[in-house]
Amino acid sequence: MYFVCFFLKDNCREDGRGCEDYRHMEIETNVVSNTSGSARVRLANTDILVGVKAELGAPAPEKPDKGRLEFFVDCSANATPEFEGRGGEELATEISGMLNRAYDCPACLDLQKLCVIPNQQCWVLYIDILLLECGGNLFDAASIAVKAALYNTKIPTVTVSRDEGIMELEISDDPYDVQKIEVKLAPCIVTLSKIGHSHVVDASQKEESCCLARLMMGVTQNGTITALKKEGSGSLDPTSVEDMIEVGTGKRVGEALNKSLTTALEEEERQGTKSKTLGFLR
Amino acid sequence: MAGLELLSDQGFRIDGRRVHELRKIQCRLGVFSQADGSAYIEQGNTKVLAAIRGSKQKTLHDKVLVNCQYSMATFSTGERKRRPRGDRKSQEMTMHLRQTFDAAILTNLYPRSQIDIFVEVLQSDGGNYCASVNAATLALIDAGIPLKDYVCACSASFVNDSPIVDINYLEESSGKPEIIVATLPKSEQIVFLEMNSRLHEDNLSKVVDTAVKGCKDVYQILDTAVRDHVSQVATVHGWEN
Amino acid sequence: MSVDIRIAGARESTKQLDSEEISSLVTPGDVITTDTGFMRGHGTYMEDDQLKASVAGVVERVNKLICVKPLKTRYNGEVGDVVIGRILEVGQRRWKVDTHSKLDSVLMLSSVNLPGGELILLELLLLLDNVTQAEVQSVFADGSLSLHTRSLKYGKLGQGVVVHLSPSLIKRRKTHFHSLPCGASIILGNNGYIWICPTGNEMEDKTGGYEQNLEPVQRADREVISRLRNCVLALAEHKMMLYDTSVLYTYEASLKFPNI
Repeated sequence: MYFVCFFLKDNCREDGRGCEDYRHMEIETNVVSNTSGSARVRLANTDILVGVKAELGAPAPEKPDKGRLEFFVDCSANATPEFEGRGGEELATEISGMLNRAYDCPACLDLQKLCVIPNQQCWVLYIDILLLECGGNLFDAASIAVKAALYNTKIPTVTVSRDEGIMELEISDDPYDVQKIEVKLAPCIVTLSKIGHSHVVDASQKEESCCLARLMMGVTQNGTITALKKEGSGSLDPTSVEDMIEVGTGKRVGEALNKSLTTALEEEERQGTKSKTLGFLR
Repeated sequence: MAGLELLSDQGFRIDGRRVHELRKIQCRLGVFSQADGSAYIEQGNTKVLAAIRGSKQKTLHDKVLVNCQYSMATFSTGERKRRPRGDRKSQEMTMHLRQTFDAAILTNLYPRSQIDIFVEVLQSDGGNYCASVNAATLALIDAGIPLKDYVCACSASFVNDSPIVDINYLEESSGKPEIIVATLPKSEQIVFLEMNSRLHEDNLSKVVDTAVKGCKDVYQILDTAVRDHVSQVATVHGWEN
Repeated sequence: MSVDIRIAGARESTKQLDSEEISSLVTPGDVITTDTGFMRGHGTYMEDDQLKASVAGVVERVNKLICVKPLKTRYNGEVGDVVIGRILEVGQRRWKVDTHSKLDSVLMLSSVNLPGGELILLELLLLLDNVTQAEVQSVFADGSLSLHTRSLKYGKLGQGVVVHLSPSLIKRRKTHFHSLPCGASIILGNNGYIWICPTGNEMEDKTGGYEQNLEPVQRADREVISRLRNCVLALAEHKMMLYDTSVLYTYEASLKFPNI
């Protein structure tokens, strides 16, 4: 552990990265066909699969003219044997809680578009996250996968007709008659781990095991912070917290992450049907 | 069922296959690096991942304990599932998988340890058990765990007086009889057999034979894939004959 | 600062190698021979007078012994192998060591070289999560290993990096300890664990190595170590065998790219 600490003083980590460098990431969308949108993210050893299903349901009572998002995280036993049965529930609740908080901000997604009939029907997006392999930094990878899956989500258009006072809904069967969700301002979670006296972005499993405390923040493309959470048994100095958020790391890294993700997603969409979806067959 | 005929007069099924044709199978060994062994299989539209871990818990003295877990992703079915595992169907599947692999693994070579088999269904379009068994077999081979033989599974049904092989979700939910068989292909021994719905006993042997033949075909495909994988890796390793 | 996100489809497939026909390839259930004169080794089983394979791999025939070598397996210890392990548990008179094998290995107090010959509390010598280098003394009936550190070469390892790989990537050779000209040393444990450390430290430790050298390591050395670590992982990813020469060549090739 000492080795790792000494490393960081000179901005050089175990695998040669700087303190603010992410590991190599790969994304792929449209992996599962039963869903309205899906994505798979591989961040070194971490493998996460997200599926989004859009269903009609009743809106939340306090927001009658907006759609809803429901997050569900499933830690598969493939990742670690400790997740067998109900072992992974604590971690799952943490991740879904953090994502809920990050997406709670009204500026992120235009949920009004998801409203069909105010007070009665709206689109509910069930976002299901499946953790397939744990290689450190689960929160960041999960948020990236969620954003990619939402980008890929296609919601069928609904026509509302009024027939003698009774509302009738008609969901279009045409696979091309769909609307997409605007995810430009959706947040990504950036986790900063404190190891020794410095903090690093994207901790690997080894680094996570020797970190004292973590600060997770949801950051959007233009630098707005939507959620903040401190985790871990160590304590953080208030100045270092400020440092992490304001001066630099958090915001900068968050913006860069969002930008790279959007570029990659747009690139993939441009390739369109030419690229084969390989999924796990690669 | 109004509209859709399971078997047309020309001998074509709903998805265009003939009665004896299997769905397209694609597979890959060694998908994950952290598990001892892993595999991914696609049988038509059904996609299953399997991972194997060996753990060192002192349980049985003279042989290994085989532990399975079957879980389905909540987005795998057409209608969203509430819980990935823990419901009765999953527990039944888990038990079946465990029985199947208990018979196939050479258990006395691993005393005092446990082999965990974790199966995750990513997309479900019928034949979940069969795809799970095939994926788990590939994963066990990838992990280097000694097996008596491959375990291949296949399903069959009986429609309009002819047995059809490898049924998909629509054919499963139509109420026709369904037979699922898992065999050790070389010795032609059956390790698991299950039947649903009603079937006249005169037709039973025909349908079981069809399913067993289906297993043999699956075995050919899996064997080719394993051989390809082994020969590629061995070449890179530089192992000579 | 860099964030590198790529589309999965953009990665080229590495499967373009034409694999040679390997004739001794077997898969579980294949009959190897019906001749009863052979003894059976790992990876085979007898059924009805036929010798069958139980794993997928290559058949190896040494005189009368037939065994099948699988591609990937947990470490099967043999007497005399050098292994690197991490301490899992401190017990009464022994340590439990994790060596990536089927069962945990055991390091008895009687098999440990004590500095000055005194009996010290076990806890002071090796703590949980320390990494040691040891040799396999014997193999128990159920397959678990007994280790010893009776020579000056073995003992606790100080500052360095452990890399986890599959044991099948490491061939058995005479020396496992290599001092590379780039300023770092590498120890290739037979169980698939590799230890990379700066050369300076190892030269001083001739006492059997139970003191820990906590001096900060130079930055240049650290870069060398990180680079070596990435080279080793890259070789493992492409399933190539690890020798000191292969690691060295990869390292030299990687020097062309300044960013690791």
